[in-house]
Amino acid sequence: MKMKLLGTALLSSAVAFGAAGMAQADEFPTKPLTLVVGFGAGGSTDIQARVLANVLEDELGQPVNVVNQPGAGGGVALARLANNTDEGYTFVFGTSMTITFGPLSTETTYDLDDFRYVAGVTLGQSAMVTGEDRPFGDSWEELVEYARENPGTSYATQTALDRMIIEYIARQEGLDLRIVPTSGGAGMAPLILSGDVDFGYSGGTHSGYAETGEMPVLLSLAEDRLVAFPDAPTLQEAGYDINAAEIRVVMVPKDAPDAHVERLAEALEAATQDERFIEITEERILMPVTYLPEDEVTQTLRDQVEGYKALIEELGGLPDEE
Amino acid sequence: MTENHTVLRMNFWSGLGVATFAVLLLTWVVPHYGGRGFAVGMHPRTLATLGAWIMLVCALALVLLSAIALIRQRLPFFRLPKPGYLWHQTWPFLFVLAFIVLVDRFPLTWVAPFLIGSLLLVLGERRWYVVLLTAMIPAIGLYGLTAHLMRIGVV
Amino acid sequence: MIGFDAILASFAAALHYESIAIILGGVLLGYIVGVIPGLNRAVAIAIAIPLTFYMSAYAAIAFLIGLSKGTAAGSAVSAILLNTPGEPSSAATCLDGFPMARAGKPRKALKVGLLASVIGDLLATLLLIAVAIPFASVALKFGPYELAAILIFALVFIAGMAGGSFLKGLAAGGMGVILGTVGLDPETGAARLTFGHAELMEGVPILPLVIGTLALAEMFVQLDEYRRNRGASVIKLGKDKQDNLSFREFKGTLPTIFKSTGVGAFVGALPGLGPSVGAFMAYGLAKRSAKDPDSFGKGNPNGIAAAEAADNAVIPASYIPLFGLGIPGSVSAALLVGAFMIHGIQVGPLMLRDHPEMLFTLFSGMIVASLLMLAVGWYGLRIFAKVTSVPPHIVIPVVIFLCLAGIQVQGYGTFGLVTVFAFAIFGYFLKKFDYSFVTFLVAFIVTPMLEMNLRQAVILSGGDIAILLDRPIALAFVVFTVLMTLHLAWSSYRQWRQKRLKAAGS
Repeated sequence: MKMKLLGTALLSSAVAFGAAGMAQADEFPTKPLTLVVGFGAGGSTDIQARVLANVLEDELGQPVNVVNQPGAGGGVALARLANNTDEGYTFVFGTSMTITFGPLSTETTYDLDDFRYVAGVTLGQSAMVTGEDRPFGDSWEELVEYARENPGTSYATQTALDRMIIEYIARQEGLDLRIVPTSGGAGMAPLILSGDVDFGYSGGTHSGYAETGEMPVLLSLAEDRLVAFPDAPTLQEAGYDINAAEIRVVMVPKDAPDAHVERLAEALEAATQDERFIEITEERILMPVTYLPEDEVTQTLRDQVEGYKALIEELGGLPDEE
Repeated sequence: MTENHTVLRMNFWSGLGVATFAVLLLTWVVPHYGGRGFAVGMHPRTLATLGAWIMLVCALALVLLSAIALIRQRLPFFRLPKPGYLWHQTWPFLFVLAFIVLVDRFPLTWVAPFLIGSLLLVLGERRWYVVLLTAMIPAIGLYGLTAHLMRIGVV
Repeated sequence: MIGFDAILASFAAALHYESIAIILGGVLLGYIVGVIPGLNRAVAIAIAIPLTFYMSAYAAIAFLIGLSKGTAAGSAVSAILLNTPGEPSSAATCLDGFPMARAGKPRKALKVGLLASVIGDLLATLLLIAVAIPFASVALKFGPYELAAILIFALVFIAGMAGGSFLKGLAAGGMGVILGTVGLDPETGAARLTFGHAELMEGVPILPLVIGTLALAEMFVQLDEYRRNRGASVIKLGKDKQDNLSFREFKGTLPTIFKSTGVGAFVGALPGLGPSVGAFMAYGLAKRSAKDPDSFGKGNPNGIAAAEAADNAVIPASYIPLFGLGIPGSVSAALLVGAFMIHGIQVGPLMLRDHPEMLFTLFSGMIVASLLMLAVGWYGLRIFAKVTSVPPHIVIPVVIFLCLAGIQVQGYGTFGLVTVFAFAIFGYFLKKFDYSFVTFLVAFIVTPMLEMNLRQAVILSGGDIAILLDRPIALAFVVFTVLMTLHLAWSSYRQWRQKRLKAAGS
């Protein structure tokens, strides 16, 4: 463990030595860093970011300040980061959807190529969920059967992405769904729990009901099955060729110096092995921690964008595209 | 009549302003920027259009009622404001706007003493220690708040 | 189920001097931040969350509860003394608080506000503890149909009490509706009136809007007044012998306080409505049921009492769906979820089973925090009421600075500053031409909620209005709304006729 870390450190400083000279590589960071969260204080992303900042502070030897820039589902923070010239001193901790699907569904001033993805540190756990005691139980197949026989089965959507996925599924399976908009997990939960809506999308709210079983999962939208709901199949397993896996990533503007990005990546890799970070993420927020290096996460994000574009094309364009 | 003349004139002109604005919203802003697309429930523009209609109808009614009252009482429709009045009304806004432009360039913490100090001087405060203390304490407070308590760096 | 001994033990824990000290710390921090115009709960939270990392679970939660109460009470202080509410929900407190403070009774206004807020808060907390959690699932009976009907009712109800000119109030409300629709359309995802600004996609941010329209605009108005009658100080403290709250006056506000607590608790128990709706509805109810509705908005203690009692009753009541169903019903409830999460406790129905001691410690902490708030506020108001004796030419520049600082501190950046400035101009015109900011603000806050619920209702029902027959609660509110509208039309027609008769008679 320690040896490996040391190895990466040596290697990266050697690379940096060749590229930019010893001084720069050793110096970063020489002043406090800023970790920007695209959501308000107190949410799960914010809490995780604050623990991450604490851990990074120990790794980098400089204070890491946490700044909230809420708005547009994380989009405001990214729009500002794209114009940032801080050379990696300012970085955003956010979710991949903002950067992959955001620029496709709304007009944004940034896109995938405006940033470097230092590393992915956590895998999302979004899912299609339902309530207790539904006629179709908690099985995806039975739900599809039920929806086919009952036109007007209702679905609660929260994001443009899950709306597109369900529209794709509905077309694939020949379903006539009523798609109801809701605002966030707090808006979706009452509709699902009361039975007013048959099933819906959930970013992470369902994890809170894992023990009570009040919100069973029908389908995992992550790459693998969900940690807390191992019985629900993934999108691929259910026969839909979509990769909608959420990854929580750290991003810097695309012109950040290599040496700085590498130093950050090193610190992040160490953070994913730090107990504090693992505890808050896996035991509290209930999402698995992994370390995805820059090239891997960038490739995944690029593939996702391509996949979404194909999907949009298949569905005949987004409703508001002119 | 209980309303005095100024109120009637104010209602007339402000109503006219609101009505014009509402017409502008209805004919140009909402149709162009209100969003498009097909929706099962309500069209994206429905509520904004409704709001604009409410503004238009109410403002027109206001204009009409105050105009009738003005005509009945044979009052003039406008009285030119005293010279200097307009400037008297606008400069505080320009003053703050100028500082907002400054804050865009430099941190508020550094700009603040000048903002507070100069406004104090304009308002007629001449005791130097009052100006100094009033200008410095809030800025120092902001520095303590951002740099140490919230730890978001100097804003 | 938890035993009586355990409940007693948890109360004893809350009365331990250490926990009292922590709650007091939270109350003080929240109060100080809340009192400063331009700063509000969000700032206090941002200060507090890193601190709570190093506390035990109980201490962190006690601290945040204290903080939440402190900001609410502090925000009312600046609303009353300077007409600059820190939270949108304190805007209703301004309506009577500021006129009363201007009339030379700032202490009385502050005391009414403080007592009403503590009573509202305590009663709602007791309700939460005693009965509410087992009945939390009743809130699920209020689906999109019911919420849409209630929100329409609230809109009509509040529009009816706007006072001043009805037409002007309604026009301002129209503007509020338009601004309330800004952002991504919830159904189609189309960008509405955002003009390409990412910052507007989730709607016009409420904080710059409130600080601009109310606080900064108020400073421009006071600046104008100050320069007109230089030398005349705004409020003289302690000069008026009546500037104290007699027990009789306090007793007079009690019925209002109880009624408003009821309104606040009802609104709070339904997920998603929030304290602003509660405060304005209670204010409207108090005005409507008063013998002298015309004295509202001119410094009627009942107006302050109604707004403050309801505003503070909403918060404990919003914990009912939180602990009963796991649904955070308000911003402060969502905050609590975060705090629990840090310390490894999942908030929800299971808390009563898995961590009952935590739950009851929390409840006792809430009661202790309320009482501490009373003490802090009682002494605090003596100090802060002195703000009114600071000459206005010093207050105005400092408050202008604080408004800008509040925006910068919360990361809204240049966009936020421009927004605040634009709304300051807007608010200045509202005040100068006597357009009601109440209808504007309420329409702005209610529109997005109403739109969301209305759309859900229309989609779920497939546009079939007969569904109302299956939803008696929704139907009832629709009928109330119709009756209310008829009543409003009738009474304004009568007023108009009386005025005509008087004019003809004179």
